[in-house]
Amino acid sequence: MTAQPEASSPAPQNVSLGIGKLIVPSVIGGLVALTLGIYGRLHHPTGVVVNVAGFTSVGYVKSWLATIATVFAIVQVISALVMYGKIPRVTAPSWIGRLHQWSGRIAFLVAVPVAVDCLYGLGFQTYSTRVLIHSVFGCAFFGAFTVKMLILPKRGLPGWALPLAGAVVFTLLVGLWFTSAYWFFSTFGLHR
Amino acid sequence: MKLNTPLVTLLAGAALGVGVLVTSIVWTSGTSSAASGAGATVPASATAAVTSPPASPALASTPATAPATTPASTPVSAPATAAATAPGTAPAAAATATASSYQAGVPAQANYVGAVVGGGAAVAISVHSGQAVAYICNGHAVAAWLRGAAQGGKLDLTGKNGAQLSVSYRNGMAAGSITADGTKYNFSAPLVRSVPSGQRPPGLYEATATVDGVKVKAGWIVLQNGSQVGSVEYLLGSFVLPTAQAPVLDLATGTAQYDGVTLVASLISGITGSGF
Repeated sequence: MTAQPEASSPAPQNVSLGIGKLIVPSVIGGLVALTLGIYGRLHHPTGVVVNVAGFTSVGYVKSWLATIATVFAIVQVISALVMYGKIPRVTAPSWIGRLHQWSGRIAFLVAVPVAVDCLYGLGFQTYSTRVLIHSVFGCAFFGAFTVKMLILPKRGLPGWALPLAGAVVFTLLVGLWFTSAYWFFSTFGLHR
Repeated sequence: MKLNTPLVTLLAGAALGVGVLVTSIVWTSGTSSAASGAGATVPASATAAVTSPPASPALASTPATAPATTPASTPVSAPATAAATAPGTAPAAAATATASSYQAGVPAQANYVGAVVGGGAAVAISVHSGQAVAYICNGHAVAAWLRGAAQGGKLDLTGKNGAQLSVSYRNGMAAGSITADGTKYNFSAPLVRSVPSGQRPPGLYEATATVDGVKVKAGWIVLQNGSQVGSVEYLLGSFVLPTAQAPVLDLATGTAQYDGVTLVASLISGITGSGF
């Protein structure tokens, strides 16, 4: 037990210890986000990246992958709501935890190549509101996801920690999708 | 000991990210080692994927403009040929390796229009069968026309007074930098989207006329959202061209009024070939 001069009763001490466990993951997550942003800003993007067969352009590859990631993220939210008993008249089946874990892993891993492509080919851009939001959210998303992964194995966290982390990750991803794939499909058409 | 699976997920993602990043760097740097590198099977599938549009006239015309790369740039040649020529002709292989990694997404005719990073100025680029025209202006003192060859998705154009443009373009966007009047501007200009018929499309417009005995050349960039930036240059035959803000281009009539003279603007379009 660490000595905490301000704590005069057990309850505040437990709460502050619980929140304390969030500090290091949050710092690490912040560093991840910062690193991505700095790389994106300093690196001179060429607009040239590797193309993938079967798609009209790289933009379509990324937009479809981003959409897939977002679909899995929606599965994440729904399974989380079921796990926490928030859906009326629906009891959590035994496989709901595994569904949540795997849908999350797939969403994350599908998003990674898209993000690398964005960072490497386009960089951190600010020339319009859409790209500014996308650039900031993109860095923040990976920071927030890092935080969520780091706090998951921890015990004694405040009850709101995981749902908050999950909500932040989800909100950022949806924002990312709207400022990229949604815009791209609206601008260039919905096809491969 | 229970495995920390969230950490595994995180590290797997990081490893995947690094892998994709390294692949991107290696493939787009155009080094000869990339053409015949360790990932032998992967570049083979990428090149194979790119052989689908070899019949397009733009690709056929590029060997004509760059004879040194003719043997290597023929799309139907096997990857082994590209690797074989790589050691002997490093710059040619560089052009080939870079070109083959994204030629499938390079349009032969395209128009791009966008604002520069930081705002204040606009850039328009038109590509038509191996030729390119570009224009930058900010409605004040900065204006430059650039022309040159378009090859394999890359543009290196020059214009008067040290104007220079270095851009990579593909199906959705042209990105790069342009230097005009000593300032370097970065930009990512998206492909021009068509507008409802009856309206003049966004893009690059030019007009020449004689005003008060002086020949002038006006250029307007009409952005996708309908706003426009334009500059007028006085063609006095001197090295530095006095530049002023262009009068507003009436998109309904395609004309502008300048000191009592009607400027009739014509669209420069890579799609139709007008202005090339």
